Amino acid sequence: MFQKILIANRGEIAVRITRTLHEMGIAAVAVYSDVDRASLHVRMADEAERLGPAPSSESYLRIDRILDAAKKHGAEAIHPGYGFLSENADFAAACEEAGLVFIGPSAESIRALGSKTAARQRAVSAGTPVVPGTERGVSLDEARGFAAQHGYPILLKAVAGGGGKGMRRVDREQDLESALRDASSEAERAFRNPEVYVERLIERPRHIEIQILGDRHGNMVHLGERECSVQRRHQKVIEESPSPLVAQHPELREEMGAAAIRAARAAGYYNAGTVEFLVDQDRRFYFLEVNTRLQVEHPVTELVTGLDLVKLQVEIAAGAKLPFSQQDISWRGSAIECRVYAEDPYNNFLPFPGKITRLERPLGPGIRLDACVYEGWTVPMEYDPLLAKLVVWAGTRTDAVARMIRALNEYEVGGIRTNLGFFRQIFEDPAFRNGHLHTGFIDEFFARQRPAEPPQELAVVAALAAALASTERDPAAPGSSNHGMSPWVLAGRQELLR
Amino acid sequence: MKLNLKVNGTPREIEILAPAPLCQFRVDGGSARSADIAIPGSGLYSILLDGRSYDVQVERTPQHFIVVINGHRFEIEVHDPRRWSGRSGQQGGADIETIAAPMPGKVVRVLVKAGDTVVAGQGVAVVEAMKMQNEMKASRAGRVMTVTVQEGATVTAGEVLATIA
Repeated sequence: MFQKILIANRGEIAVRITRTLHEMGIAAVAVYSDVDRASLHVRMADEAERLGPAPSSESYLRIDRILDAAKKHGAEAIHPGYGFLSENADFAAACEEAGLVFIGPSAESIRALGSKTAARQRAVSAGTPVVPGTERGVSLDEARGFAAQHGYPILLKAVAGGGGKGMRRVDREQDLESALRDASSEAERAFRNPEVYVERLIERPRHIEIQILGDRHGNMVHLGERECSVQRRHQKVIEESPSPLVAQHPELREEMGAAAIRAARAAGYYNAGTVEFLVDQDRRFYFLEVNTRLQVEHPVTELVTGLDLVKLQVEIAAGAKLPFSQQDISWRGSAIECRVYAEDPYNNFLPFPGKITRLERPLGPGIRLDACVYEGWTVPMEYDPLLAKLVVWAGTRTDAVARMIRALNEYEVGGIRTNLGFFRQIFEDPAFRNGHLHTGFIDEFFARQRPAEPPQELAVVAALAAALASTERDPAAPGSSNHGMSPWVLAGRQELLR
Repeated sequence: MKLNLKVNGTPREIEILAPAPLCQFRVDGGSARSADIAIPGSGLYSILLDGRSYDVQVERTPQHFIVVINGHRFEIEVHDPRRWSGRSGQQGGADIETIAAPMPGKVVRVLVKAGDTVVAGQGVAVVEAMKMQNEMKASRAGRVMTVTVQEGATVTAGEVLATIA
């Protein structure tokens, strides 16, 4: 087994990987950019190395500097986390050439599956149903031609993409040009590849994905599904296992699991991976893509299977055989995850970086919090707005939802804005509680939602709190006139002047 | 001390008769009530009122206070009639459109310069934060009066980028 592993990532996933390494008795080497010097992942690590300035192109995407850091610190393997270089085949190959073990699949598998278009072609030849699309990067004219043939709405997606970056829904011809330009420039910045392809859009699909795990000896299992239908701007915000749909139709788990393993085996896959499917209203599933890395939402699978996916990834990378076979896998209870973002749900979910002035964490039964934040830390504006993943487990989905609401009520982040309050509304929503999910859920939720009228007494309490707060001096107010005089003194003088 | 409030747009009057921690107050001229106030953290109020416990978060913005209780959100403007340094009237004239940063971030592109004429929906500037770009557009046709930021500038939420007349 390895003695020391470098984590080529930041934020909550670097913290999460560090935790497992420490449980395994393996030293963790952190890397950081200038704005991340005081980040939790650096503070928790055993060793740390600076990569460069804040922009990820000068730090977390610099293969040369990461390899230098690994050599300097004597790491034997590199865990890429998710995002950044995790699905970059050149990085995986460069690690192996430098004598370092890349904790993930082979560079060949990443090439075969990591490119969405290449993966689609492979799935087509394996007989897996796919959504009609161009299967390669397109020009504006080609995108126009595809739309003319298949009709709007269409979906633009980054060839090298993931996580909704470089993705745009286009409903009308006149929006196509600017959408393609935006998607392409976003793809260039996120993945250093501006290519964008086009797909027909399936209305009201569910997003359900299968976690797979394979060793380097040809063994492969699936760990069941995660439903990630609750998305906004094509980015997942709530994930759960089991899927409410699969809970009603258990045969789907085996069918999709088998299809996922077939697709991965065809590419000689090993280590952890995720095969994503769209499921339409008639429960037909379509291969979407393979994520050749650990997923953000892996904790829900860990909670229902009792497995540590990072530990298994490390063991597989070290050459171990899978310690179980498919029939040993069992699923217990229900797990739900919320992605807590630094963003303003009352202003179109725009990012809201800044300093965290107060932090209260949810605790108690059935709570798991994967986070990278602490009180006094400034959330940088250069990276993803993901602050934390709040995950709950309970015996049933109904109990898990109740537990999540309880946990959300305990969770407070002050100084910046977050989507915590938005989650509370979602979990109170009857459609969510009944498991009627699809990827347009949030848009429809907003459309049908009538903001609940708060109880009159709460308005009184709120008014009192605002009145009290207004009597405190505003440190930010320029020329806050009263020269530090307490408003009570001021009020007293006014009374005397009567 | 009497304060005029707007709670989610509804005018209310609150009179503080005695300060925290044993606060006496009156709302909209009603009878005096008592509340027990503790301040466990910055922007955090624990209020006991008629035997009930309320944990209240208060965020101060340039325009108002955002108060959150049990997931309910209130936007509250506070006007102290005795203070002349009122917070209103800071917007420009009625026919001047102010283009403001929608979020804290960095100005990655400025698409107009002072004196340019713009059409409705034309891009003015692009602000980026956390890998998300937001193009601020003119809501109507007009002439660019001022451009107050340069490419590469860091801005706060609500900071003015340009004005259009």
